[in-house]
Amino acid sequence: MKYLKQVITVTSWEFSRFFKPKNEALGIVIMLVVSTVFFFGGRYAFSDSDKKLEISVLNNTDVTLTEFLNSHYVLNEIPIDDKANFIGDLGNERDRVLLEAYSDNFILHAYKNTSDINKIKAHLTEYHKQSEMQKIGLSPDELTTVLSPAPVIESFVYTDNSGKRVVLSYFFAGIMLMAVFLSFAYQFTAITGEKQLKITEQIVSAISPQVWMDGKIFGITLTGISSMLIYAVLSIVGGMLFFQFRGLPASGILDYIYLPSIVIYLPFALVGILTWNAILAAIASIITEPNNSGKSSLMMLPLVFVIASFLVTRDPDSGLSIFLSWFPLTSATSMPMRWAITEVGYWQLAGSFILMVLTFYFLRKLAAKIFRVSILITGKEPTFSEVYKLSKQA
Amino acid sequence: MIDKMQKTVLKANSISKAFLNVKAVNNISFAVEQGDIYAFLGPNGAGKTTTLRMLLDIIKPDSGHIEWNLNGKQNLLPDAEHIGYLPEERGLYLDIPILKSLVYLATIRGMEKTHAKKAALEWMERLGLADRAKEKLQVLSKGNQQKIQFVASILHKPEFAILDEPFSGLDPLNQEIFIDFIKEINNQGTTILLSAHQMSLVEKVANKLFLINNGKEVYNGSLSGIYQSFGEKIIIELQLESPFNETTFQNLKGVDSVIRVDDFRAKITYGPQSSMKNVLHDLTKIDGICDITSHKPDLHEIFLQLVKKQ
Repeated sequence: MKYLKQVITVTSWEFSRFFKPKNEALGIVIMLVVSTVFFFGGRYAFSDSDKKLEISVLNNTDVTLTEFLNSHYVLNEIPIDDKANFIGDLGNERDRVLLEAYSDNFILHAYKNTSDINKIKAHLTEYHKQSEMQKIGLSPDELTTVLSPAPVIESFVYTDNSGKRVVLSYFFAGIMLMAVFLSFAYQFTAITGEKQLKITEQIVSAISPQVWMDGKIFGITLTGISSMLIYAVLSIVGGMLFFQFRGLPASGILDYIYLPSIVIYLPFALVGILTWNAILAAIASIITEPNNSGKSSLMMLPLVFVIASFLVTRDPDSGLSIFLSWFPLTSATSMPMRWAITEVGYWQLAGSFILMVLTFYFLRKLAAKIFRVSILITGKEPTFSEVYKLSKQA
Repeated sequence: MIDKMQKTVLKANSISKAFLNVKAVNNISFAVEQGDIYAFLGPNGAGKTTTLRMLLDIIKPDSGHIEWNLNGKQNLLPDAEHIGYLPEERGLYLDIPILKSLVYLATIRGMEKTHAKKAALEWMERLGLADRAKEKLQVLSKGNQQKIQFVASILHKPEFAILDEPFSGLDPLNQEIFIDFIKEINNQGTTILLSAHQMSLVEKVANKLFLINNGKEVYNGSLSGIYQSFGEKIIIELQLESPFNETTFQNLKGVDSVIRVDDFRAKITYGPQSSMKNVLHDLTKIDGICDITSHKPDLHEIFLQLVKKQ
């Protein structure tokens, strides 16, 4: 009971230290402003992309080609005699493009290679195919039949691996990435910052290293989860606005929200973040000087675990995906992602979850032990071997 | 003033601690009784902080054992609410309001939040900082920050307070204020165990002493006892006209030790059996003395003598 009361005290302290509603609100406002600028800025930047591109051809160009090009471009015919001047002037008139068509090839003149050139090349390929087919005597209907894809009628038993589910699984991974970044920042401040402020000894004279460590882990996790939930809700609202702007019903976002997946995701995310925080806390415990310590880079370790989970979307049934969804340091993200896009038995869910809970239980104990021995080494940052030796003695 | 019953509240039996090959604390024993202001005295690196950390179970002794007898819990380390601790390496949350930090530190020691807030405000009122309770600690002067750190360690009104180097970094005025604070909380019922290296300050506040050097006991007993045992000596400080030879003084009757302060100044310690009359009689026979002062040894001098003997 006393342990619980102390852990709650430390947890709520850490939460109140780092979760600042005012800062969260400010962050949301900044995010909204930036998103709005990007959205409207992007629309403005690509506003001329719908306009037909203007290209020039020589006035002796085959009529079939000019008719074909006319449906895609604003065509400008120039006399053959002006060709040299046109090409010579490309340095000044950089938007101009000149197409020369011959029986066996095309020549494109432009100031530089751009995406417009690729677009023209794609159309020329299409035109080339059509003209070659006509040469061998195919009618337009026959041509359409030849070019059309194979008529395959798909019939699946499992139909829940749609693109929308993949989007949802990416969303899970994205939220977890955010949790890692938040935990990294907060845990660093909470532990190394406290050591630098020389508060640690006073605290551990009042509570056990385990209470201290558990309070930090729970407090920072709570902070991270609170921010995650806020941004998850905001993302949904943002998605609804996006649909609205696109002229689609805002309720379209609901097609992406698959409730059972979310119900599975939440406990996995909670225990996963707790586990990563235990690792981060253990690493932070042996860092004395965050600016100079070579161990600081280890704090990015959980990031690797989340990034590895993205591999699940490539083939959720592969051996690697199954391993990632069971391995306790990656299962928090990988298992809910797999569950969203493929068939996973409930026994696998339960097994993976229990394994992760056990890992967290022992990692938090290890973190407290590392912390306990690390505070005894004063005056310099402890090495891994010193921590290992002292941990064995403790 | 509390009734100072002779109840032993802390007993350390033959405790030792080594770090790698360095014996930081070497087989020391002592007992603190309820109501004591017990001072651990010694130079830097003597083993004071290591001893205090062992008492609080922050580190474990290699050998020996520690018995507590607070709040009816014999042998076990008492709950945090019964103990206050001001570590040598001390700090507070600089970017958090002072009152909030104080309340947090008191609540992790088991105090109710409302009581902690009330007690913190009372202390801040006493320190003249009541109007700054909601400010961040970093805006206070260093002296005021140290006062807040002291308050943080005793706010929950512990039965026993361990203060590691409470006078460290304080100016003389604040040192006197801290002496008053320590006496006051002791009078309110808190037994104090403090460590220090400023002997003159300890003389003003402690009733018992443990002198420690290189991890070993040099003296363990009452403050009055140390003066009775070692303070009856006579210390003579001489100013000479020309550089002197130490053997000139070492051969005089009753001389315990001669310290060369510089080429023209000597500090001579006479044993307790010597009388001032005989001392002066002998010294008048020596040429070249231009000034003589005498005094009884203070704690600092007693400590130096004991270390020398050790």
